[in-house]
Amino acid sequence: MTSTLIIEGLRVEVAGKEVLRGFDLLMRTGEVHVIMGPNGSGKSTLAHALTGHPGYKVLGGSVRIDDVELLTMSPSERARHGLLLAMQQPLEVAGVRPIDLLIAAGVDPTNLRQRMRDEAERVELRPEILDRFVNVDLSGGERKRAEMVQFGMLRPKFAVLDEIDSGLDVDALGAVARRLSLASNEWECGILVITHFKRLLQELTPTMIHVLSEGRVVATGGPELSEILERDGYEPFRVASA
Amino acid sequence: MRWGQYTAFVPISMKIFADSASAFIADRPDAAPRQLAWTAFEEAGLPTTSDEVWRYAPLKDFDLDRFGVVSEPATRTDSAFAAQLCERAGLVVRVVDGFCVNTGKGLEGVSVEVVESSQSLAGTSFADRYRSDTFAILNAALTPATAVIRVGAGVNVEEPIVVLNVSNSTSSFSRTQIELGRGASATIVEYFEGGTDALVVPLSEYSLDDNSSLQLITYQRLDQSAWHVARTTGFVSRDARLRQAVVGIGAHYNRSRNDAEMRGAGSENELRTTFLGSGDQVHDFRTHQMHTGARSRSTLLSKGAVADQSRSVYTGLIEIEKGAKRTDARQTNHNLLLSPAAHADSVPNLDIRENDVMCAHASSVGPLDELQRWYLESRGVSREDAERLMIQGFFYEMLANLPAELAELVERDVTSVLATVNVVTP
Repeated sequence: MTSTLIIEGLRVEVAGKEVLRGFDLLMRTGEVHVIMGPNGSGKSTLAHALTGHPGYKVLGGSVRIDDVELLTMSPSERARHGLLLAMQQPLEVAGVRPIDLLIAAGVDPTNLRQRMRDEAERVELRPEILDRFVNVDLSGGERKRAEMVQFGMLRPKFAVLDEIDSGLDVDALGAVARRLSLASNEWECGILVITHFKRLLQELTPTMIHVLSEGRVVATGGPELSEILERDGYEPFRVASA
Repeated sequence: MRWGQYTAFVPISMKIFADSASAFIADRPDAAPRQLAWTAFEEAGLPTTSDEVWRYAPLKDFDLDRFGVVSEPATRTDSAFAAQLCERAGLVVRVVDGFCVNTGKGLEGVSVEVVESSQSLAGTSFADRYRSDTFAILNAALTPATAVIRVGAGVNVEEPIVVLNVSNSTSSFSRTQIELGRGASATIVEYFEGGTDALVVPLSEYSLDDNSSLQLITYQRLDQSAWHVARTTGFVSRDARLRQAVVGIGAHYNRSRNDAEMRGAGSENELRTTFLGSGDQVHDFRTHQMHTGARSRSTLLSKGAVADQSRSVYTGLIEIEKGAKRTDARQTNHNLLLSPAAHADSVPNLDIRENDVMCAHASSVGPLDELQRWYLESRGVSREDAERLMIQGFFYEMLANLPAELAELVERDVTSVLATVNVVTP
């Protein structure tokens, strides 16, 4: 069954400054949407506000999955309604093991250890890492692969990937992108990629690209938009937003 | 009023205890050094909360006459947890009411002996060494005997050794000495249970010869009515490594002093202490890392959580002697407040007499880390479960170095206790 994620007029304040100033987006499960934009355009703010990060204050707007409002929900309720954030810098949580996290998150515990191992293999993560505490003493690449293991177990309707490509080597990037691409077929996961690199898009074909500038979407188009961005940079779009 | 506390007042208030102590000492083969220790105790008297190091102890409610010194152990059935712990052990040394009642079946390269001895592994007598510590000096006078566990030079003990320490409703003064020969390695669990309305005063010493490695866990699960006043000291020789985890859950007053002396060059001590306070418990953790050896290292991590009206204090001293060049000593203390009525104090101290060292300490008192909690919640974990996972994580972290089978068992036990604790997030 197709689900729809609708973001309308989202306004978010960080440290007293309005960073998202009326953000709109519509996407369906099975689609891959990409948000690109220069530093400070509000990309990370979007990711964090969607999942209810405590440092981000929502001033207005609406975020709905199939007409259910998420903004009034707690972070865990949002996740249970099918929204998952994969982070740029996944946090270390000492003393908590990935398997305990997943069981607490509502993942079916049947044979879970083995399923996690299978998932780790798909993203070429050494299975021993699964026995370590969440993200503790992992390299940047390992953390992101570990996020992908959670992703594969939680099977969200929509996954938001916040600059997951930053600091990744080519191999890790490829592994992550292939996993995501597969997920969009496997359970029609909707994938919202936030990035300012084009590299990830070589393995993950976008349905739509949105250019974010000063807290709003200033251009939307097909994959060809990334070529234009590559060639001309964000400057022309900045003018367009003024 | 010091004279009153130190002379007239104390002996009168503890007549019953003193009489049973005298009778106990008179019967022992080594009565003389015990009598010395007892006299030292009587001269000092019980501490009061005006003594800085006893400031947080609920001494007002403490009455030694509630306890007696017993001349033989009572019988007691082990808990299910203790039984499971023993199943996983290569050797079990059983101590009841301070008496070593069973030295366990032979494990190659390991010897267990029960000895009458007044000698501390520090090289002096117990009475001298612990003169300034009221409860340790009581142990010097009143322990039934010392259980000495020796691991021979070069012996690598694969299976854990368990020292099962159970107490009945009385006083208990167990004493354990663990000696690792050159290049030896072992994992030892000192476990405490029982102790309803009891006074439990264990004293342990560990000596690690050159290049040896001891992984030690002290797990205290006494009844919530017990007074537990423990002291441990590690003496660490050249290139030897003492990794110690101290987990305190039980007792009304849980005091744990854990010291280490890095005597040899390149010696190392990693100490992790943690506690969970509930009801009106007081957890009183004290550490003293003394560096005399050059290039010695100590890493100290103390983490604990206090719920309900419980309170905790952590006082840690790192001392670096002149000549202990290129020593690296670190101390971190995190306290978690799980209720507005709970309280935690943290008092880190440094005393450094050598310039060429690396030394750091950090401490914090507060609620759970909001971002970590959000991270867990953002995966679909409810706030309540996220908090439980994180608190449980304090303990799991302490157990991370243990063999997996053993860690799992203790983790399950800790989790069962946590399930009963009320978490109120501010």
